[in-house]
Amino acid sequence: MSTNWTKKLFSAAVTAALTFAASAAMADFPDKPITFVTPYPPGGSHSLHAGVITTVAEPYFGQPMISVIRKGGGGAVGAAGVLKAPADGYTLLFGDPTINSLRPQVEKLPYGTGDFKAVARINYSPAVFVARADAPFKNLKSMIEYAKANPGKLVHSNDNKNGFTYTVFEMLKFKSGTDMKGIIYGGGGPAIAKILGGETMAYAGAPSVVAEHIKSGKLVGICTTDFEPWPSLPDVPTCKSLGTDIIFHFWRGVVVPKDTPDSVVSKLSAGFEKLVEDKGFLRLIGKINSRVDFLGYKEFDALLKKEQADLKALYESLK
Amino acid sequence: MEVLGNLAQGFELISTWQSLTVALIGLVAGIVIGALPGLTATMAVAVLAPFTFFMESVIGIPFLLGIYKGAIYGGSIPAITINTPGTAAAAATALDGSVLARQGRGRLALETSLVASVIADLIATFVLIFVAAPLAAVAIKFGSPDFTMLYLFALTMIAGVSGNSFTKGAFSVGLGMLMACVGLDPVSGYQRLTFGSVNLLGGISLVPLLIGMFALSEILIQAEKYGRRILTETAGDDQGRGLDLKTLKGLLPTIIRSSGIGTFLGALPGLGAEISCWISYGIASKRSKKPEIFGMGSVEGVAAAEAGNNAVCPAALIPMMVFGIPGDTITAVLLGAFMAQGLLPGPLLFQQHGPILYGFFAILLVTNLMLLVFGLGAIRYLQHITRIPPGLLYPGVTVLCFAGAFAVNNSTFDWFIMVAGGVAGYLMRKTGVPIPPLVIAMLLAPGLENNIRQSLTLSDGNYAIFVESPIAAVILVLTLTVTAFFSWRSFFPTRNPQPQ
Repeated sequence: MSTNWTKKLFSAAVTAALTFAASAAMADFPDKPITFVTPYPPGGSHSLHAGVITTVAEPYFGQPMISVIRKGGGGAVGAAGVLKAPADGYTLLFGDPTINSLRPQVEKLPYGTGDFKAVARINYSPAVFVARADAPFKNLKSMIEYAKANPGKLVHSNDNKNGFTYTVFEMLKFKSGTDMKGIIYGGGGPAIAKILGGETMAYAGAPSVVAEHIKSGKLVGICTTDFEPWPSLPDVPTCKSLGTDIIFHFWRGVVVPKDTPDSVVSKLSAGFEKLVEDKGFLRLIGKINSRVDFLGYKEFDALLKKEQADLKALYESLK
Repeated sequence: MEVLGNLAQGFELISTWQSLTVALIGLVAGIVIGALPGLTATMAVAVLAPFTFFMESVIGIPFLLGIYKGAIYGGSIPAITINTPGTAAAAATALDGSVLARQGRGRLALETSLVASVIADLIATFVLIFVAAPLAAVAIKFGSPDFTMLYLFALTMIAGVSGNSFTKGAFSVGLGMLMACVGLDPVSGYQRLTFGSVNLLGGISLVPLLIGMFALSEILIQAEKYGRRILTETAGDDQGRGLDLKTLKGLLPTIIRSSGIGTFLGALPGLGAEISCWISYGIASKRSKKPEIFGMGSVEGVAAAEAGNNAVCPAALIPMMVFGIPGDTITAVLLGAFMAQGLLPGPLLFQQHGPILYGFFAILLVTNLMLLVFGLGAIRYLQHITRIPPGLLYPGVTVLCFAGAFAVNNSTFDWFIMVAGGVAGYLMRKTGVPIPPLVIAMLLAPGLENNIRQSLTLSDGNYAIFVESPIAAVILVLTLTVTAFFSWRSFFPTRNPQPQ
């Protein structure tokens, strides 16, 4: 008799526990640590931001966020790797326009622009066009005139093929109808080193990369690819205000595989929205010369779609 | 003498028990990380850097500098004791160091490596403190054609010095360069030799390959000997003599020359310790009075390689601090840690944050002293690693190999690379094809390729660009001379056949 009773009680307890666990899994996402994948090598702006984000993340998700660096193929290896993980919101990609919007459309990569779903944009940087202090041009007007008078003689540094700094120069060449010679150095570090050393005359880089050199007088700020001048470089005008309409935002944002449930995406988005207001986060983000331009998953999704269409149009017009 | 005043201020700033303790912890942790095959200094610094974001700068940065320095030195310990360099930069050390250890002179090799490291580090740190700005101004003038020639020179040196035959060395270099072609074309973005595999899109991962080629192949060799019961070479003379003053005095010119080479190459953005140790080793072998024992247990060889790679560590901070340009991945991570402390590396850093920078310089000097004291103490025990029964040692190392190969990229595919590397390495050892040229060529080939293509884009395809720059022309002449020298020696050998 008593054995039977115990059995019944036991099975009831097990059933209850299982039901509870199942409902908890649905309601309490996340119930295990989240992996945050940076597709670039350590040391760049992405891994720096990822370090800041993952260290302050835990209170906003109720679970630790683990930073994983998965470099290779200019970001393609990390992006493809995230798509191999289950679409359950536990594996996030720290993306950008290069790997999410541009390269899948113009290169043969193992994924497409539609394979990801937007979660949250953390911030963006514009590109700042710069020239050597001793270059034969000091502003956008004389730079374009020089390029027109000397086709293929204006030599500029580029980071990577189809990268952010590469794209803004393509835009400039397209909009001004000029021909310039870009040298691909494979990263912001060597690209800036070669303009400082005198091998190239111009470059376009993130404010954090070029600002100190503009302030020290080695480089001259030509224009910024944003709607407003960048706060740390108030004297550098926007390209748009100078009559050459180039707007390009290098955003840093979180994306997940496209089959991730909407309820999970909105939860993650809400978590990041609170995270970017964290005091420690803001202090550090200021120190690394960055800032917050948060967009939730809906607005970010709209931006992403528009950007992908714009870049597609640009590349088709260049053909 | 303004610098000395600043330095005194710097010492004052870091003379707190907190700063010194974290620097020591970092140093010891760094040595352990560097010594374990597969755990790299870059990874350690990258993982730990975010934690320092929330620390005070006089605590966080010394910790990272300690790790950096410890890890560069640490790689030489397994290179000597078990013929398995912990880092690519220690591959040249293994050539002579492991032979010395097998001859029962492990303590001498370990102490030479330590002392050479400390002296080189000291010289490079003083260069960093006193002439960082002028040296950086020269280094930044190096253009793409100059780098192209420098890479070519380094590859020639590696092919020439790491085996008995220049032909086999050159073959190994060629194979490494071919393997480096796998992945995305750096200029056009096309996929090369990836066979449609996403795992190969980023190229063949270097660290897993390195672990396989150096560590796993050594384990296979040892396992074979163990199986045939011919493992008789346990160091008989375990009371082996250490480095005495007379030997050190004889080594000083080599150490100083290698330190100079390492410091200059380290200051060139983009060249790492891996190049410098080979160029130092190569030059030392040519300048030596006893070139014939290089590769067969030359103390000079150990000193040259270790001085060459350790001098790079402080020197790589020069372009980072002066221009904000990281010289390698570790300095790129350090750059981030500096920025998170509000210290923006670049032309204004010295003016705006002088005192604290000198504090970091002081930390570099202090950790150097710590390394010497700690190292000399530790070597008394480390020399006995060779006496651990192989049945225990090698299975342990195997586990570390697998852990390390996975940890680099969190990728199980890398296990295949490591195992394939191990098998290939075993076959190469059996046929006398040296392994280091392959690994180092794979590491350097992307840089060589990029610089060739950058130069040719600049010159619109005109090869004259490689001789128009005086720097490039001089290095080219050096390369040709060295090639002629090695070829001559290869066809008309004067060496005694290797005793085996």
